[in-house]
Amino acid sequence: MGQTMAEKIVSRQAGREVYAHDKLERLPITKLFFNDVIGPPAIKGFQEDFTDVFENCGKPPQVFDPKRIFFTPDHSVPTFAIPIAEGIDSMSEFAAKHGIRMYKEGDGIEHVVLIEDGHIVPWDIVLGTDSHTDTNGALGTLAFGVGTTDALYAMATGHLYDFVVPESIKFELTGTLPKGVYSKDIILHIIGRMGAGGCSKRVAEFAGPGLHSLTMDARTTMCNMAVEMSARTGIMAYDDVLADFLKDRAQWPVDPIDSDPDAEYADVMQIDLSDLEPTVAFPHKPANTTPISRVQEMIERSQREPTPDFCTVNDDTITNAFLGSCTNARYEDLVAGAAIMRGHKVHPNVNLIVIPSSRKVYERAMDEGILQVFVKAGANIESSNCGPCFGSHMGVMSGKGKMISSSNRNYQGRMGSPDARIFLASPATVIASAIEGRLADPRKYLD
Amino acid sequence: MITGTVTSVYGKDINTDDIIPASFLQLSTERAFFAENAFCKYDPEFKKRCRQSNMNIVVAKENFGCGSSREQAVYALKENGVVCVIAESYPDIFYRNSLSNGLVLITVEDASGFVMGDALQVDLDSSTIQNVTKGESTYFEMKAEDRNTFQQGGMIGRVRRHLEEILLQQAEK
Repeated sequence: MGQTMAEKIVSRQAGREVYAHDKLERLPITKLFFNDVIGPPAIKGFQEDFTDVFENCGKPPQVFDPKRIFFTPDHSVPTFAIPIAEGIDSMSEFAAKHGIRMYKEGDGIEHVVLIEDGHIVPWDIVLGTDSHTDTNGALGTLAFGVGTTDALYAMATGHLYDFVVPESIKFELTGTLPKGVYSKDIILHIIGRMGAGGCSKRVAEFAGPGLHSLTMDARTTMCNMAVEMSARTGIMAYDDVLADFLKDRAQWPVDPIDSDPDAEYADVMQIDLSDLEPTVAFPHKPANTTPISRVQEMIERSQREPTPDFCTVNDDTITNAFLGSCTNARYEDLVAGAAIMRGHKVHPNVNLIVIPSSRKVYERAMDEGILQVFVKAGANIESSNCGPCFGSHMGVMSGKGKMISSSNRNYQGRMGSPDARIFLASPATVIASAIEGRLADPRKYLD
Repeated sequence: MITGTVTSVYGKDINTDDIIPASFLQLSTERAFFAENAFCKYDPEFKKRCRQSNMNIVVAKENFGCGSSREQAVYALKENGVVCVIAESYPDIFYRNSLSNGLVLITVEDASGFVMGDALQVDLDSSTIQNVTKGESTYFEMKAEDRNTFQQGGMIGRVRRHLEEILLQQAEK
């Protein structure tokens, strides 16, 4: 019987053929990473839970495999409070002691730098202490966001416990994207159709000829947001685009992967990319999507029938714009934003923040004059970190804030006051809106 | 047997940002710290209601605990005396985090029968919720291994034994 990629990867790691719903008491994992939010409590838990086990076995405390573990301080950096600095200190000390690679503050966001540095390769089972670990599925891996406990257990033993092989839903992409429409618009469209819980307990497998036209930067954006329809993770097959990306980059052996033609799926959805428009998600849920041409209707609907998930929006004006995050701040995202920005200014009522997703992206954008376009237009450029999307230390909004963001979540209170409004869109739509001070269609800037 | 009172009732898609906002996550590694700011943006009265009982039950519709993987959301509930959540579904990360910490999650087809103030007795062994206030009984499904993990307060015992096994194997080599 044919297998999905998820079933194949679990089978290889488990050493036996498994299918959806099969249960494994222990699943060996191959890569594991911690950010500054969960790293410190996980280290504390590791010490509390296992120190005596190591002692009893006459061994010094050790992690399962330091080469497969990475520490990435990215959420609240540069630090803004003493406990956060202390947490990052504890990560540095632990990393030095155990031989774990620790990135520096500003090196970039976890779901960007590990891929960029070739640490993630097809067939990996990746655990990360962040729900957007699904991003790594764009490289043919099975990548799960986990909490503190699962991660610290894996750090000790290299296993995930009580794992049930998930079913997959296939999203088959055909056609090519029209000008001014990006992979962010595809995934927002899909989430809008599926709903916030629509892919729950299942892997979102993106496939079809339409996928082939998308670059790795574009693909990671889509897998990143699989969790916004509650998918277990997102995944994409190995092809020549991924092969090119991994060439001279991969730090581990590369082996192609794809699902079998006769694999069984829980569901299949067809998406014709040529039908799509720039898409915007309305507050407070990523699933509240509308094509940009129907924003006025959406505003009227929000006033007519608001719910806790879909709040009243008075008009299409915005006060804040964010081009950044693990979703959409890679090189091509900055290029797409700069193409709109060039020759224009940020609207006087708008605070635009631009944060390249890694130090390498930052340097390249600087060398190629892309950052200058944003700076001269009146944007604030910050060093690489999660920025306003984490809502703790940078670009935090008051109750009057109305933000358009290239990130992945527009939950109530995500970026500050619970009364603030957050819209999600592609980098191009974010910049067009930052220019006009209202939700704007980027396509007219591209003629 | 878990005996408690329904002190919070929510709709669908409650996310972990709602349960504990990001700005508090890194200020402490003590679990009790997260009690103070639970639901502070989404439902500022949550904490106050939880103080009325030390056995609180939260009821919700589908997809409770979606979004961020922050395990602090589980601590924020437990440290406010939440002993059990009854909802129509949970996404995987939150379910796993709750299993790890012994926060009992019950899945029912329709949660609308449970309202504020209902006194409930949840029996994991017989898979039933006895609504003492209404005199009704509801059956729920739970996998045997999950029931075990909830009852043991997590899987730490098994993981410690596995680590020991690994270390002993290394010593033999």
